[in-house]
Amino acid sequence: MEILYQSINLIFSFDQNLYEIIFLSLKVSLNALLFSTIIALPISAFVAVKNFYGKKVLKLFFNSLMALPPVFVGLILYILFSKSGPFGFFEILYTPQIMIIAQIIIILPIIISISIETLEIINKEYEDFFLMFNTTLKKKILTLLWDARFSLVTCILSGLGRALSEVGAIIIVGGNIIHYTRVMTTTIALETSRGNLSLAMSLGIILIVIALILNSIALIIKNFSIKNSYD
Amino acid sequence: MIKKVKIELKNIFLKLDKNHIFKNFSLDFSTEGISVVLGANGSGKTILTKIIKGILKVNKGKILINRKNAIGYAPQKVVFLRRNVFDNVAFPLRVKGDSEFHVKKKVNFLLKEFDVFDKRFLSARSLSAGNAQYISFIRAIIDDPEVLILDEPCSNLDEVYRKKVELYLKKNKKKKKIIMITHDFLQAKRLGDQILIIEKGEFKAKFTKNKFVKNEKSIINNFFS
Repeated sequence: MEILYQSINLIFSFDQNLYEIIFLSLKVSLNALLFSTIIALPISAFVAVKNFYGKKVLKLFFNSLMALPPVFVGLILYILFSKSGPFGFFEILYTPQIMIIAQIIIILPIIISISIETLEIINKEYEDFFLMFNTTLKKKILTLLWDARFSLVTCILSGLGRALSEVGAIIIVGGNIIHYTRVMTTTIALETSRGNLSLAMSLGIILIVIALILNSIALIIKNFSIKNSYD
Repeated sequence: MIKKVKIELKNIFLKLDKNHIFKNFSLDFSTEGISVVLGANGSGKTILTKIIKGILKVNKGKILINRKNAIGYAPQKVVFLRRNVFDNVAFPLRVKGDSEFHVKKKVNFLLKEFDVFDKRFLSARSLSAGNAQYISFIRAIIDDPEVLILDEPCSNLDEVYRKKVELYLKKNKKKKKIIMITHDFLQAKRLGDQILIIEKGEFKAKFTKNKFVKNEKSIINNFFS
């Protein structure tokens, strides 16, 4: 109980270090989310619309990647981007940039897989419609993405949830350097091992609050979409 | 009609889910005016419209159409985008790449012409069956196509809407080739210049309007009783 009291005190003391960690977490995860979304949505729409050889295998591949262990992603990136690795010349190991890349790799398959499912349902509805009007592939993709936009927000938010809670990869590639690559989850891991439970707990509480906010946004969007999506 | 429209199905074969829908089926729609296709349920009328529109591919045979990209189609089972009435009617024009100015002008004009302008912001998917069918008809004619394929376009319409649709068809039958599926004998008599009867995937008979009216009773006895 005392730890909880101290944690809440810490949150409301607006400690600079604490908020620096929170902002870096959000910055890394939101950037990863932005790039993942830009990459994932066209891929998902293409896979949903187009029938091609190996489509099922590709979907299975994306589904399997959803369970990719973050620690493994971190390890591979570490090997690739370390000084002696093939991409060592980029010199981005232990920077927020590589943390963003790690999170993109982790959340991309999640957003792609869930979006494909959502878009395939709508594509099934629209199949004859598209044929009726000789719709081009580009127009089909744009139509699907627009008409599924509210459902897609929930798919994207599930990716953000995963990014924010991820620790295994970013602790390896980011190095958990104070004032530079230290984020909420890596701090929780570090402070717990150090015995500084109040800081770890306050960050945990903040993570839960962020999760609650994300879910509330998803719920609001869902309700909004029921009223406004013409479904 | 500016140029003669050719729509001809030659020796087509189609199998769906192990059922032979058409076996060596041939039919020529290349006459002017309105061709009404009559037939009992399950005779293959809707599938026929889908083949002409290009939604269904046949297993064998030739489909000769010289206006493939100018076919307006109002299906029996209406499909709408998850959008409002305006956007659904506008879709064929937008696919073609028409300017938004042109799209807005044309869609609003037709919606006003058919007395549904006030419904333009309603969700298309929540329309009643009658309204949905009516809007689907408007969408089929939005681009002023040279060929119009209508699959039971008035089956759910009230008298007011039905008359509007029929008036449009009568006014435009010289400019367009219209193929219409119906179960309504009276409508077939009112609109058809050529009445075609199909039964279980086979072409049975072709009548001119006069012949059809004269022999109505024997036609009913022969094909529909």
